[in-house]
Amino acid sequence: MTDQMRRPAEVEWASEIAALRADDGPRPEGWAMTPKAVVTYLLGGEAPDGSKISPKYIGSRRLMETAVATLATDRALLLLGVPGTAKSWVSEHLAAAIAGDSTMVIQCTAGTDENQIRYGWNYAQLLAHGPSQDALVPTPLYRAMQTGRLCRLEELTRMGSDVQDTLITVLSEKMLPVPELNSAVYAKRGFNVIATANNRDKGVNDLSAALKRRFNVVVLPLPDDMDEEVRIITKRVGEMAHSLDLPAPGDISAEVQKVVTIFREMRSGETLDGKAKIKTSSGNLSTAEAIAVMVGGLSQAAWFGEGGVGAEDLAPSILGAVIKDPVQDKVALEEYLETTLKKRRDFAGYYATLNELL
Amino acid sequence: MAEVAYLGVRHHGPGSARRVLARLNALQPGSVLIEGPSDLSDLLPALARPEMKPPVALLAYAEKTPESAVFWPMAEYSPEYQAALWALEHGAALRFIDLPVAQRFEPSPAGQEGDDPDAEAEPSAPVLATPRTQDPFSILGRLAGYEDGESFWNDLFETDGRAESFEAIDSAIDALRESEELTPFEARREAHMRLEIAKEAKAARAPVAVICGAWHVPALRAKHAAKADRDLLKGIKKEKIKASWAPWTSPRLAQASGYGAGVQAPKWYEHLWRAGDAGAADARWAVRIVRAMRDAGHVVSTASAIEVIRLAHALAALRQRPRPGFEELREASIACLSFGETLPWREIEGDLLLGSDVGRTPDDLPLAPLLDDLAREQKRTKLKPEAMDRELSLDLRTQSGLARSTLLHRLAALNVPWGRPQGAGRSRGTFRENWVLRWEPEFAVELVEKLVYGVTIQSAASALLTEKINSETRLAPLSDLTFTALTTQTPTAVSAAIARMSDIASRTDDCAALLSAVPSLVETIRYGQAREVDTETLTRIATQMITQAAIALPYAARGLDAEEAQRYFEMLPEAQRAMNLAELDADIADVWRRALETVSEQDASTPLVAGVATRICYESDYLSDDMTALRVTRAISPGVAISDAAGFFEGFFTGAGQRLIHDSALRRVVDAWLCALDEDEYIAHLPLMRRVFSGMDKNERRELLDRIMGRGGAAAQFELAPNADEAWAARLPGLLRILNKEAADA
Repeated sequence: MTDQMRRPAEVEWASEIAALRADDGPRPEGWAMTPKAVVTYLLGGEAPDGSKISPKYIGSRRLMETAVATLATDRALLLLGVPGTAKSWVSEHLAAAIAGDSTMVIQCTAGTDENQIRYGWNYAQLLAHGPSQDALVPTPLYRAMQTGRLCRLEELTRMGSDVQDTLITVLSEKMLPVPELNSAVYAKRGFNVIATANNRDKGVNDLSAALKRRFNVVVLPLPDDMDEEVRIITKRVGEMAHSLDLPAPGDISAEVQKVVTIFREMRSGETLDGKAKIKTSSGNLSTAEAIAVMVGGLSQAAWFGEGGVGAEDLAPSILGAVIKDPVQDKVALEEYLETTLKKRRDFAGYYATLNELL
Repeated sequence: MAEVAYLGVRHHGPGSARRVLARLNALQPGSVLIEGPSDLSDLLPALARPEMKPPVALLAYAEKTPESAVFWPMAEYSPEYQAALWALEHGAALRFIDLPVAQRFEPSPAGQEGDDPDAEAEPSAPVLATPRTQDPFSILGRLAGYEDGESFWNDLFETDGRAESFEAIDSAIDALRESEELTPFEARREAHMRLEIAKEAKAARAPVAVICGAWHVPALRAKHAAKADRDLLKGIKKEKIKASWAPWTSPRLAQASGYGAGVQAPKWYEHLWRAGDAGAADARWAVRIVRAMRDAGHVVSTASAIEVIRLAHALAALRQRPRPGFEELREASIACLSFGETLPWREIEGDLLLGSDVGRTPDDLPLAPLLDDLAREQKRTKLKPEAMDRELSLDLRTQSGLARSTLLHRLAALNVPWGRPQGAGRSRGTFRENWVLRWEPEFAVELVEKLVYGVTIQSAASALLTEKINSETRLAPLSDLTFTALTTQTPTAVSAAIARMSDIASRTDDCAALLSAVPSLVETIRYGQAREVDTETLTRIATQMITQAAIALPYAARGLDAEEAQRYFEMLPEAQRAMNLAELDADIADVWRRALETVSEQDASTPLVAGVATRICYESDYLSDDMTALRVTRAISPGVAISDAAGFFEGFFTGAGQRLIHDSALRRVVDAWLCALDEDEYIAHLPLMRRVFSGMDKNERRELLDRIMGRGGAAAQFELAPNADEAWAARLPGLLRILNKEAADA
């Protein structure tokens, strides 16, 4: 047992990684395992010694293969997707499997500057001895280049475009000049960059065309399968309710089913049976948001309700998730209520409460 | 006995075609036998004619039942096509050996081709000669760890064209066939081929090459008693058939078009055939992708094209495939060129993978099944083509009337307006149709060209309509097309239209588009009801569209410019009429009614639209007389800008001036408003009054005047001004001048 709150992937899944490394097929230089083994590590399967590999990502094999193949060339990988589509999760596991180290992370924010991307200085050293290698403070990117590992950039588009463009030289020429010392860091084989970014978010910066060109992009979609999504949500909501000290929810899967139905229908633009089309909402209605709706509803029911979570508790949060644009989305929801939900008897509560709130 | 070489191929496999050519060159056979209907062998030499450009298809149908036509498509890269060309070039004997078409139309167990026992049902797409219902290579592929049989076959046999792999395929098929049950039809086909091969081998001196689907090779090789084979073939009835070459299109070589033996991506196969094994093949394909993307308006650099190829190779290596297939190149393109988005790829995908090539056949190949079908239909419906106008009145309640009407509608859909519908517009609710018939010689040419769509008038009309429907994006024309599909009795097109309409209706935000489609949709439903068509789905869509329109209307009615307002002004009464006809459920009618009331009530509505909505509410008794008067008073009260008040006035009264005759409260409201206008404003709005009152006839105007003046027993509300006579006399010359000038101008 460890007192660490959360352990990095390569520690948590150390035994699986070790088992997969046993596959001694050809591999790109600097890789700890073969590309095929990396895909197996992500999607689950069997190691050469017969041990089970648990799936880390549930979804399209083709997407994961494209991601891994990208890293096997010298192109950088950009994982795009709405919140809650496991971008960072995939990025962490890719780094853990390929380089055996997922800890070289730069969290990009609006406040990230070049010093946090390239290198910083130890000012005491700098003042005492002048510019020298000793005074230089390497960043994760710097160290990844030196050691031939993977560097992860989280939420790439949250930092300013000028800072993003620092990466262009690194990605195309695989070197990082240090003009103060008249030297440069040359990336060791095995170095590469995995960035994640949100493609449907406010307050982000555009990727410059020059930088965009240097990434291969994989868009991670929302879950395909309804049951899968219900399971993910039920599990996560249970965990979160526990950590928020909410009274343990009873069986919420029926309500989850309904919320997921509404979310999926309004996001895909058709009813689940595919018989009728629906207008979509401009809210992104991701799995993560469905989780938030459920937790919000649970909390409301726990503190203000009469036990048991129902339409009355969930409807306000659903409304907030669906209506991001006061006119367009309102029309979409009204239409959805009138043309679809109205006819479904088991959604009567949602129809009534949502109509009342509109 | 000559040596017999069995060349098992995959239909439309470029690798197979290459291997067949290599093998033929090595073997130099004296005769080439191809899996194909033996009674069509005479058509084979036409393949070598210079006017013949694949893709083309062998087309055959029974004279009696042309709707069950069978096609055997051939592409440039089909092994059968290449083998036939080789034989014609090298002077080898060339024959088909499969079961004759003539014996394929006999009613027989289900699941077999060329068989459509239910003559009433609409023949869907023309039946295509599909070698097998199940793909044996999917099974093999799964065993080998592939996701589908297509890529398995590609990797093992297609992409490297080694001649010796024929034997490898044979042994694999051998193993597969053990676990498969042979249908009686398949058994008969193979028996026929065995007999033909034996006959040829006996007669020939030079080696005999047999080109057939890989699936059949073990069965053809196996020793069977000729007598048993002959017994199998005994007693099959022969039909009279017609056959020829017909132009084919590259999209219809694709599996997605419903062709069982089709390929996933015809253009990719063509690329494989033309580019061969050359190292630059992938680059060539990548360039095609890049060009297509540029044509679609994306900025794509050459450097990105290089990245596509590199990523595709990395992917192929990861998937342990010998070289990238079109899937790898597709995924690489999505990642490198369109930044992970699949939408730009989908835009170009159709053209890139399916293409739009149309084959050509020599002009003198005599076959025009549509003309044959027309002759048959003319006989059936007792309609003669005449080069002069002839009027025809049809009662659709009779069988013959309906049949004639349907034929004329179908021909019209095929752009052959033999009959032109007469009478004011389309009288959908009635049972009577009036036509004027006149046959023009160019109609025959039209019909010959429409062969691409189908071999009977019904199937061609259906296919053509379906194509039109699927490319139409506006609701109102779609609604009309649905009606056409109903009148032509083409269920496939009807369902396509319904699906498309539901699709587009749900996505549209345009209230005007929804409203404009409602009236014709409602009439279509009424037409359908009169003809016992299942209108449930149509009703559902209509309900959906009305609900959507009702929800959108209050928002849509705000802040419209003059032109848009005019559109709604014209559309709303139409829509209302349709709603009344449609006999809607109470709650839908209620939603619609609330929408109209909101438009009439909310201040933000454009005055003209608010006016017309108020009028509809008033006429439909949604609003009481008092409420209406109050609403009108409010809308044209002094606080309202004159132009807005005039807009409302026009919306409310246009075409409804009669209201003023019967409703004294309204009269008072209007009078108060008119009196409140100062002279300039009054003159400025005179044209408006004129528009409103010109809709009334002379008697109505007189009656209105009587009411106003209290004549004819009505209580007087108004009196002439005290010295009206003098004022009148003073104004008379001016009035006369105006009237005379008008008269002079007229």
